[in-house]
Amino acid sequence: MKKRNIWAVSLIVLTIILALAGCSQQDENKIAATKDDKKVFTFSWSGDIGDLNPHTYFPNEFFSQAMVYESLVYYGEDGEIKPWLAKSWDVLEDGKEYIFHLRDDVKFSDGSAFNAAIVKKNFDAVLANREQHDWIDLINQIKTTEVIDNYTFKLTLHHAYYPTLQELTYVRPLRFVAESAFPASGDTFTDGLTAPIGTGPWVLKEHKENEYAIFESNDTYWGEKPKVDEVVVKVITDGESRVLAFEKGELDMIFGNGVISQDSFKFLKESGKYETKISEPTATRTLLFNTNRETMSDKNIRLALQHAFDKDAVIDNIFYGIERKADTLFPQNLTYTNVEVDPYAYDVEKATALLDEAGWKTVKGKEFREKDGQPLQLELLFISTDNIQKSIAEFVQGDLRKIGVDVKLTSQESNTFWTTAFDGHYDILFTATWANPFDPHSYLASITTDSSGGGPDYYALSGLSFKKELDTRIKEVLLTTTEEDRIKQYHQILTMLHEEAVYLPISYQSNIAVYKKNILGVDFLPQEVEIPTTTIDMKN
Amino acid sequence: MKTFRQHSLLIVSATVLVIFTAVAIFAPFIAPNDPYYVDLTQKLQPSSKGYPLGTDHLGRCQLSRLLFGARTSLSTACIVMSITFCISVPIGIFAGYMGGIIDTWFIRICDMLMAFPSFLLSLAFVGMLGPSYGHLILAMVCVQWVFYARFIRGMVLSVKERSFVMVARICGTSPFKIAIKHIVPTILSSVIVLLFMDIGGVILSISGLSFLGLGVQPPNAELGMMINDSKPYFRSHPMQMMYPGLIIFFVVISFNVFGESLRQWLQVERRL
Repeated sequence: MKKRNIWAVSLIVLTIILALAGCSQQDENKIAATKDDKKVFTFSWSGDIGDLNPHTYFPNEFFSQAMVYESLVYYGEDGEIKPWLAKSWDVLEDGKEYIFHLRDDVKFSDGSAFNAAIVKKNFDAVLANREQHDWIDLINQIKTTEVIDNYTFKLTLHHAYYPTLQELTYVRPLRFVAESAFPASGDTFTDGLTAPIGTGPWVLKEHKENEYAIFESNDTYWGEKPKVDEVVVKVITDGESRVLAFEKGELDMIFGNGVISQDSFKFLKESGKYETKISEPTATRTLLFNTNRETMSDKNIRLALQHAFDKDAVIDNIFYGIERKADTLFPQNLTYTNVEVDPYAYDVEKATALLDEAGWKTVKGKEFREKDGQPLQLELLFISTDNIQKSIAEFVQGDLRKIGVDVKLTSQESNTFWTTAFDGHYDILFTATWANPFDPHSYLASITTDSSGGGPDYYALSGLSFKKELDTRIKEVLLTTTEEDRIKQYHQILTMLHEEAVYLPISYQSNIAVYKKNILGVDFLPQEVEIPTTTIDMKN
Repeated sequence: MKTFRQHSLLIVSATVLVIFTAVAIFAPFIAPNDPYYVDLTQKLQPSSKGYPLGTDHLGRCQLSRLLFGARTSLSTACIVMSITFCISVPIGIFAGYMGGIIDTWFIRICDMLMAFPSFLLSLAFVGMLGPSYGHLILAMVCVQWVFYARFIRGMVLSVKERSFVMVARICGTSPFKIAIKHIVPTILSSVIVLLFMDIGGVILSISGLSFLGLGVQPPNAELGMMINDSKPYFRSHPMQMMYPGLIIFFVVISFNVFGESLRQWLQVERRL
């Protein structure tokens, strides 16, 4: 009797195991089956693509929004604004009115027409939630939106706002969804979309949250069609797993920043089996100090950290020279960012002197400095899946320990990380500027607002005594009408930020691409956040 | 013949554990270098006179980190086990001795908690509370205590029917005194054997959680975390991962063998 029981139990267990194995096998088969007769390009991302709504932010990913939705104008090489859904435009009234002449051959992927009416509807839907989007000052500047005729759309602004066209190239929020995608309430920000329908080269075919997303080429696309039939985006959170998946042949490409460790990149490059590329510097990898915390509100502490950070060691030994050292918040090669400031040199003696001056003294028999009996502890927040952040964080912790500063490392998974960052529960935070086309003006504008599309900088900097003045200056520079004024004012703002030492720029980061030798057309696009899915081709 | 094999196993595993414990206790004196001293220029160095087992990805002495890692693992396991012991013994005895509705409820709670795989449950605990050393211990204890409490309750149920307890009761001895004087001494050896048998599993869980970044936090060295740290370098520097892995392997197997041999030697019944 007992023996029979064992058999019965084993049989049941076996059945369950086989059934479960069958399930996962099915998913794999589904992806594999499409592979035989079509060109299917696969890469991975560290998180899910989100709900594909161009009017919202996190957890949407820039690259996936850009695959499905398009803008009126396109950000080209060297910042040149190119016609896109609008084939031309006129600027009237000294820059207060923009008239866009739309293409008449564009259709949404559901077959409906793209015209001035739907452009207005999308603009109005975004403007209905102005405060959520006002990190782009254009949103505040828009006075009216008008349909002139079926293919002519007019935008009237309160002031002549110089970055208007540039901000219209952004991946979000001013991109267009079809009529049928609007929820009954019309509020795309709160209620989401009924379906992700855009005019772009890709259509979402299948999406399994946190596992994979499959995009297929849009048959009715007006522009040059993608060269591969399908793009599969697999979610792989961990860098090493990503490298293993790539080596196993499950992925065709690894793309992005911080997606694999520099050591793995070096290893893959030196293996000679794959093609590798590094983009020009895009954005600045920087530490942000939270001036609301009592310790960090002291300028001497911030200066001490600037001098105590050994950037060269990080560049040489963590980045292997792949990323270049940064001394200013923005790379000097962007428009308006070429400011002359004295970089903070690595100088441990100066750092210790500054700490002493701030009242944080070494105590005999104790490892860390103290002030009024409190040890000097700073909390450094980083994203647990970002290999580069982790290495730098551990280095900082070890290095600052030598001068008696206790750095507490808090690692969080990226969703929680951003929530904590926005809530301001940290002393030091890893962040980065936004790269083209956002730097410097949109990044600076985000400092002045707490909208969800902005950054943690608003809160972090709000402890500064001159924060109000800084905000006013940033708002002013966006409305300047002459080039000369603009250069002068940007110079003042950037010098101010540098002197207050609230940012500790580490390096100018680059995107990396590692791909199989049969993949062609991998180029870095002018907007750093986009992935070149339309130009990529596969040889057999 | 059989007893000789048992004894030899007991002796071998005990030796390994004594060495391990000694190393853990005296780590600060044995370690050749400061395990927390970061020097990026000395990154991933091979074995040398100054660094007997080379250095890790931040140029820290690998051997010193392993010694401190062993210390962290063992001390954490001991803390978890002691707290578990202190919680489960009174609760187990109370439930077993009182019986009735208290016992029924106790069993219900145990069944509920035991329905989940213990590692998954501790993972959920730490995940909710946030990663830190204190939360790691809390999570481990929350998951562990039910098993012991239930085991102790089972033993108490049989012990309380035995004649010497009956006699004590008839003489009017207070339940508290019965528990301390008669029940605890009877079940103690079994409980200790059980603790030893489980300590390996606890070390493994601590390493597992730390590997996932949920347990011991940097810069403190911990064996599981060291394996995670060496992940990006396992192709170029496989020994980085092997050292902590091997230590975990030998320590856990020694604890298991030691516990099992001890059980056989003391002839403790294994039941839950």
